[in-house]
Parts: sequence; structure tokens; C-alpha cells
Amino acid sequence: MAEYEMTIGIESHVQLATVTKLFSPADNDARNKGPNSVVDPIDFGLPGMLPVLNMRAIELAAIAGRAMNAKIASISRFDRKHYFYPDLPSGYQITQMYHPTILAGAVDAPLDDGGSVHVRIHHAHLETDAGKLTHYSDYSLVDLNRAGTPLIEIVTEPDMHSPQEAKAFAAELHKLMVYAGVTYGDLYHGNMRFDVNVSVAPVGSTELGTRAEVKNLNSFRSVERAAEYEFKRQVALLEKGERIVQETRGWDDSTGRTSSQRSKEDAQDYRYMPDADIPPIVLSEDEVEKLQANMPLLPPYYREKWAGLGLDKSVVDSILAHQSYAVLIASIQDNAGDDVAKRVAHWFASGVSTDEETAEVASNFVPEGYVELAQMVEANELSSTAAKEVFNELLTGDKTPREIAEAKNLLQVSDEGAIASIVDEVLADPASAKAVADFAAGNEKVIGFLVGQIMKKSQGKANPALAQKLIRERL
Amino acid sequence: MTTTISRDEVMHLATLSNLQLSDDEIASLQNDLGGILNYINQLSELDTSGVEPTYQVTDLENVGREDIVMQPKADRDALLSLAPKQKDEQIEVPKVL
Amino acid sequence: MTTIDEYLGTSAVANVKRAIQAAKDKPEYNALLALCEERALEQASKVDSGEIKGRLAGVPFVAKDNFLTFGAPTTAASHILKDFNAPLQATAIEKLEAEGAICIGKANLDAFAHGGSTENSVFGPTLNAVDKDRVAGGSSGGSAVATALGIVPFATGTDTGGSIRQPASFNGVYGVKPTYGTVSRFGVVAMASSTDTIGCFATSASDAQLVMDVMAGRDARDMTSLPDFFEIADVKSGQKIGIIKEFMTDDVDAGVKQSVIQYVDRLKSAGHTVEEVSLPILKYALAMYYVIVPAEISSNLARYDGVRYGKRADAGTLSDLYGKSRNDGFVSENKRRIMIGSYVLSSGYFDAYYMQAQKARTLLINAFNELFNTYDVLLGPVSPTPAFKLGENTSDPIKMYLADMMTVAPSLTGMPAISVPARATDEGLPVGVQLIGQRRHDAQLLALAKSVEGAA
Repeated sequence: MAEYEMTIGIESHVQLATVTKLFSPADNDARNKGPNSVVDPIDFGLPGMLPVLNMRAIELAAIAGRAMNAKIASISRFDRKHYFYPDLPSGYQITQMYHPTILAGAVDAPLDDGGSVHVRIHHAHLETDAGKLTHYSDYSLVDLNRAGTPLIEIVTEPDMHSPQEAKAFAAELHKLMVYAGVTYGDLYHGNMRFDVNVSVAPVGSTELGTRAEVKNLNSFRSVERAAEYEFKRQVALLEKGERIVQETRGWDDSTGRTSSQRSKEDAQDYRYMPDADIPPIVLSEDEVEKLQANMPLLPPYYREKWAGLGLDKSVVDSILAHQSYAVLIASIQDNAGDDVAKRVAHWFASGVSTDEETAEVASNFVPEGYVELAQMVEANELSSTAAKEVFNELLTGDKTPREIAEAKNLLQVSDEGAIASIVDEVLADPASAKAVADFAAGNEKVIGFLVGQIMKKSQGKANPALAQKLIRERL
Repeated sequence: MTTTISRDEVMHLATLSNLQLSDDEIASLQNDLGGILNYINQLSELDTSGVEPTYQVTDLENVGREDIVMQPKADRDALLSLAPKQKDEQIEVPKVL
Repeated sequence: MTTIDEYLGTSAVANVKRAIQAAKDKPEYNALLALCEERALEQASKVDSGEIKGRLAGVPFVAKDNFLTFGAPTTAASHILKDFNAPLQATAIEKLEAEGAICIGKANLDAFAHGGSTENSVFGPTLNAVDKDRVAGGSSGGSAVATALGIVPFATGTDTGGSIRQPASFNGVYGVKPTYGTVSRFGVVAMASSTDTIGCFATSASDAQLVMDVMAGRDARDMTSLPDFFEIADVKSGQKIGIIKEFMTDDVDAGVKQSVIQYVDRLKSAGHTVEEVSLPILKYALAMYYVIVPAEISSNLARYDGVRYGKRADAGTLSDLYGKSRNDGFVSENKRRIMIGSYVLSSGYFDAYYMQAQKARTLLINAFNELFNTYDVLLGPVSPTPAFKLGENTSDPIKMYLADMMTVAPSLTGMPAISVPARATDEGLPVGVQLIGQRRHDAQLLALAKSVEGAA
């Protein structure tokens, strides 16, 4: 059996975080709104309506381009893509076929094994989204709330060669776009969707195989699984001596399979045409720089900043999963040093869920509290167990860690006199007699038992190091 | 050079244009389109090498608006009332297959 | 014919009643598709009460029925929009109303403004104001005839390749196709986005100036509308005017040529220099036009599908709904142009037709600009013939298209061009002279026309 290699290219649709639509001043946020309630006559395709470009979308495109290390076109234009569908009110989608705003770039996506995959961006263009169709037994209903929503479609070169690389790219692109403020990145609401082109060829072959495109994947995991499935499916066909059909395939998340939707042979002729209603966008290098002036810091910056902290990749990933955490840790690092940052990073990584459904439990992003908490641990005022408890409350509250620790009675007792009396009590306890004798006979290990007894009696608040010191003095 | 256009081509254009033409219309369009194409074919005589196309004649650039929601000049009820068939505040069409 | 002056300072209600009566007195011309009687009277009483004031206070007008207006349906003289009641008004209409003008009716046109005779209207043709056996011209035939008959002192129109200038010429009124972008296209049924212009018909150059001044201006709802530039100008003396040789060939009707020459004499007597100029590339203008404009039409008419508005065909499936609604909703000329547009945009033909035409357009613009380095104004006939007989050209689309050969070039270049009434032919048919200027020189063209108005 021949060995096969897969080649993957990805087209990602990113919904822009604008207030209004790309060409109409209707509200761009249709969540929790009734059907057709955020529809301007422009979105309805009423006769005589003309598009009016939302310049914020151009700004976000410039920022998205920067996040992908891409050049911004000095002249970009909009074109019409024609097809008939009830969710497409004007009979054409406005897109950028010939002169996209974002030109070639590249994204380096880190892999779990510590390496990374370099994915070149072919270009990215602005375009409008279509409306939504809901199907019933013998009719369909059209809701145009989403019609005209601005998207950026990002097209990669076929630079990925494993499902893991595809997933890593999708996840990294998502992070870049969210960090840059280009999109809210809400995958559940379809803010980012991926079309994955997969082809398979024998290892060493100089030509790419025929590709199939799996459309509309809305999670990183489904990108990975769909690529995996396609690899197996296409290899199986080739092994049987069959031909791969160039086609569009759909993904069923529950069965984990792709299925044919439409073959390239009945591909439509979209009759692309420059849109004469929309004057071109002309940007000098200075103007592009201005648009990109307030660029937020991106994941690669944080990874580099934390490289010296010795954090596991999994810890870094869970911090980076939320921009607010990354900003917080970086700020702590700047103000309180690496050790404190590392300690807080670990709390976040283990203490905060990264599950998308329950994410964002933290609401307190003031660094001082976390720094103080770390310092209390270092000063032996809190045990590490107690610190976790304080941390969990610190995440959402506005009390200081000391207030929380006091209220919960978690502060360690470091008063020698108070601990000394507990030590005396424990040593005098007949239950300790054997341990005391063993220690005197030179068995160092039993001191742990004795410290344990003292901790128990103090309800965990005694400073264990101090307790040990006092035991030694007495025995 | 005379361009002719086949009946199949006419039917293909009708599909692209989403027009369910009658047989008579197909026949007369085949004739008309052939004539019009022959007329516009004379454009090929022009040497346009190195010439940039003109898509628009205003010289305007970077025209747009701020990202602010504006109340539409016609609201949902006004728009939906135009629809030949509506249901549950949506536009009804025969089932999309 | 009437002028704007006649309606100023008098009762607006009386003005409206007078115009509506005049319209009702001449139904045989089929100039108007609907009257906006109720709304017009409402507006008129607002003018009379002083609630609305302005430079056109109480002046009645008609709007070509591809302008979205209140008060009557906006049909574009098509089947598919036959009962379409616009929920908002075109910017041009709003601006006219804001100055007190009152829309009394909607004027006939070729369906979706595709045509040069108004014979493509689903409501039947409009008859020529001078000779009822002849066409009104088009596509803004109803507007031209309503103005020429004196029903109203002015009317709005759209001109994509001659649709104001040619009917103005055929009916003996002024017709203004301004610089592309002078008047907002918002709320006007789109035909070809890169050449559609909004203009007017009037019975004098000063009336035309006034109406254009009111309608012109940058509109935030139309990205291609130009920053305000239009202002009423005085005529410049001693202008250099070029008469276009290619428009004065033997193919052009002798009576038309005579009228043009007589108009040239008027200009010369007024102290201007007139010389013959040549623009060889004009030969290709019509071919460019019949590639670019159908391409844009096929796109702009894609929205008429019977889904969201307009007449929906009875259909059990979605594909029938589309195919039948569109086939029933458009007239033959619409379909012809949609099909040509689909052809020149389809893969394999795009470069040879669409791109080639858009590049040729650049050459055409360059050739005009070259002449404008030397000349202030270019001049020629509007149409190679006076109004032709009804039915004369309907069976031959190419012959109909050839009638546009003199008007399409300024449309493709975005330059202002006006049709000025010149001496009628010996048979008494009106003839228009076309004055073409550089972009944004609209007011100068009107000032020039005004300066020789009525001179013999």
C-alpha cells in the first residue's frame, strides 16, 4: 500500500465586529432579535437602494491584515457575484473578486509538539453575508437580519498537511482575529466559519490530488475531524483505483462524516462584475499605518514574552484562550516580575474553565489583587490550598485577597507564642508519645506526623515551617 | 467574422438570467442576440493593450459612512407588507430543496 | 407650454387643479400612468398655508415612473412592479418637495427605462406631443410629452444613454442630462449604475437651471453623488465650440442637419467660434454602450424575482417562482438586455466583451478630454432623425439602438449633455441640438443655451 500525504487549504469567514452592516446602517447584532427586525431597505434589495460603505469595515480589514502580516492594497474595489437565492435580496453578493483589500500574508500556528506550521495567506476580501432560510414541511421562510453583515474571507495557500495543522491554524487565526478586535469570534453564533479544502496524493508526488471542499465548519475540532475523515475517505477511494471528484461536501458533526453536496461540474457562473455603485478604496501607506495605529497585542507577542517563565504549552494555551487573561498576566509580569506572573498564570490555567460554554468566569482584571495574593503565599501567610480558595473568589469579587482570607479564616498563624502552646499540647498528648520517642531515636521522618497533628489542631492555619522549628527546639 | 449563437447557448443564458422563456421567445432571442453580438463584435478592432478600464466616471474614492445605526426610512412592517406572501414576520417561498 | 414663473406666487391648490385638469384633458397621449391627486392637493395646501416655502413653491411637476414616490405606485412601466407602492421617496423628489414643488403624476416610460420610444411600456406607448402618429421618444417619453403639452412646466427624467435628451429633442423641450453624480440616484429604479443620471425636462433654459439647482447635490445615500458643484452661471463670452463631424454625416436626416447648422449660426452671431472637430472613436461608442449597459442591467434587474415585492407568479416550486415571475415580469426588451448582459459577463466572454468595452471607454474619455483642452463645448444633433413613426423600429432592435448613437457617448464618459430645442424641420417636427461639456460644466451649457434662446 502506497503512503499518502494530504494537502489542506482553508477559507475562513470572519464576521466583523462592527455596529452596523457593511453597506447599510442597520444594526449588525441580530442576536435575540425578531426576524427581519434589523433590516434596512438596502438589505431588503428594494428598487432604487444603493450601498453606502461602512468605513469601520475598512479599518478592521486593515487591522486584520496586520494581524496576518499581510499587505493592504493601495487600491481595492468591490465586485458583484451573481446568483439567485431567496436569502440574497439583490440577486448578487457584494464581494471583492478582483481587487481585495488584504493581500498576501502569513500566519504561524503553534502545534502541540512545540513546533509550528507556517501558513501563507493568499489574500483576504470583504464581503456581505446572506440572510437566513428556515425550512418547513412545504415552504421556507426568509429572515434578512443577517443579510449584509460584513465578513472577511481569508484564503490560505495549501500549506497544511495534517488535520492537526489545520486545527492549529484555525485556532490561531481565531485568536489573532479576536485579539485584534476584528471579530467577537463567537463560534456558537457562527462568527467564524471554515471551509476546508483537502486533497490527497502519494508521498513524493509533485502534483496535488483533486480536492474536495468541506464547507461551513464552525469549530476547530470539526476542522480537524473533517480533514481526518476526508483523508481516510480519499485514500480509500484511491486504493480502490477510483477517482476523487472535485466537489463541495457537507459535514455532519454527529456522525463525523462528510457527504457530497454539489460537484464542480454544475458549478455556477457567477458573472463577477465591478460594482459601479461603490467608489474604490485608495489607501496610502501612511493612511494604512494610521488605521493600524492602535493595534492590540497579539498571541505571538505574549508567547514570546512568557518564553522565559517555563510555563507548559497547555498553561500558555489556556491563558491565551482569553485575551483578558493574557493582558492581565502580562501586566502582572511587568509590574511584579516573572515569579509572581508564573504563579498567577498557573492559578488561571488550573482554576478557570476554558470550556467555551462556561468560559469567562473571571471578571476581575485588576492586577494588584493577584499580585498581593501571590506575595501572601510567598510570605507564608497562606497555604497553597488556601490560596486557590482565595483566588476563586478574587476572580469575580472586588474584595482584596487579605479580606477574603480573613473572612474565610484562612490566614496562617505565624505568632510563635500561639503556635508554641499548640506544640506543647501535641507533644504532651499520649497519642504522640510513640512519635516523640521515635524522633528521639533518630527517626527524622516522624516529624511530619507531628507537624500534621499541629496543623489539625490549628485547623490548618499554623505556619508548618514554624511549627517544625518549634518541635525541634523542644525535642 | 459573424457570430452566431446556438439555441443551447440561449437556453444557458436564460438559466443564468433565471428567465423561463417560451419556445417562441427562445427563437426570436436567438436571432436578436446574434445580431447584437455581431454589432458589438466591432469592439475587437480597437487596440486597447495597456489601457486601464473605466468602471466609474466620478473620480471619487474612499466614500463611506460612520459605523452608526440609523433608523431605516421604511420599517419592518412597511417592507414586509410589500411581500407577496409572508408568515411569522418572514417572507414565505416554496420549499427550498 | 408653460413656464415655472406662471405658477409662482399663485394658489398652489389652483396650480395643482389646473395641471391635473390639463392632464385629464389629454388622455390620448398616454403621457401619465397615474395622477397623485390626493397627495398633490395635500402638499398644495401645505404650500398655501406657508408650511412649505421655497423656490418652487406650488409648482406642479410630473415624475418619470421609475422615481420612488408617495401618492401613486412606482411601476417602472413594468409588469413586475405594476402594483408596487414605494415605502419611501427618491432623494430628488424629496428635494423638489422641500422647495415646494408638487408631484401631480407619474409619467410613462419604456419598461425599466429600456428603450428609445416609450413603446416598451406595458401601459402602451406615449404619443408625440407634436404628431400623434409618431413616438414620444424614450425612455422618458411621458415626462417629455407632459412638459411639451403644457400639463406641467417641468418633469423629472432619467438618462442612461439618451433617455432625457432624445425625447426632449423629439418633443421640442429642453432636456438636461447632467454630469454623472450631479443628482443622487437614491430611490430611482436602477438601470445601469455607471451611466444612470437624474435630470429634467423644462421649457426654458432658466427653468431647467432652477430645477437642476434644486435637485443637485451630494447625498449621503448615494456614494457616487458628487460634492456640491452646481450653481447657476452666466454665459462666458467668445467660447470655442466644436461641431462633431461624425454626427453630421450623410446618414443624418437633412432636416436635422439644417436645424443644427441654423443653431450654429445663432452661436456665431452671438460671438462664439464654431469649428468642425473629429472624434473617430465615436464609431465604437454604441458598441461599448451595448456591452456595458446590458451587463449592468442584468445585474441591477436580478433583484426583481417575485420574492420580497412585486408580482409573484403562481408557482409550486422555487425555481418556477423565479423563472416565471421574471419571465412574466419583464418585457422583451428587458429580457434581451438581461441576456446580452449575462452573455458578456459570463466566463469565457468577460475579457473579450466587458473588459474590452471598459477599456475602450477609457479611450473614448481620453478623446473627449483631448478636445476639451481646446474647446469649451461640443455640439451635434441629439438624434439622427426627428421622431419616427410608431411601430417603425419595434421589430428591429439594432435599428432602435442605432437611434442612440449620438447620445451614448456623453453617458459613457459621464459628461453633461443637454438637448436644446432648435428650429423644427420643414414638416414641423421638433429637432434638438445637443451641447456637450466637460464634467461639472453643466451650468455653463445651460447658460450658453439661455444666451441664444429665441434668437432666430
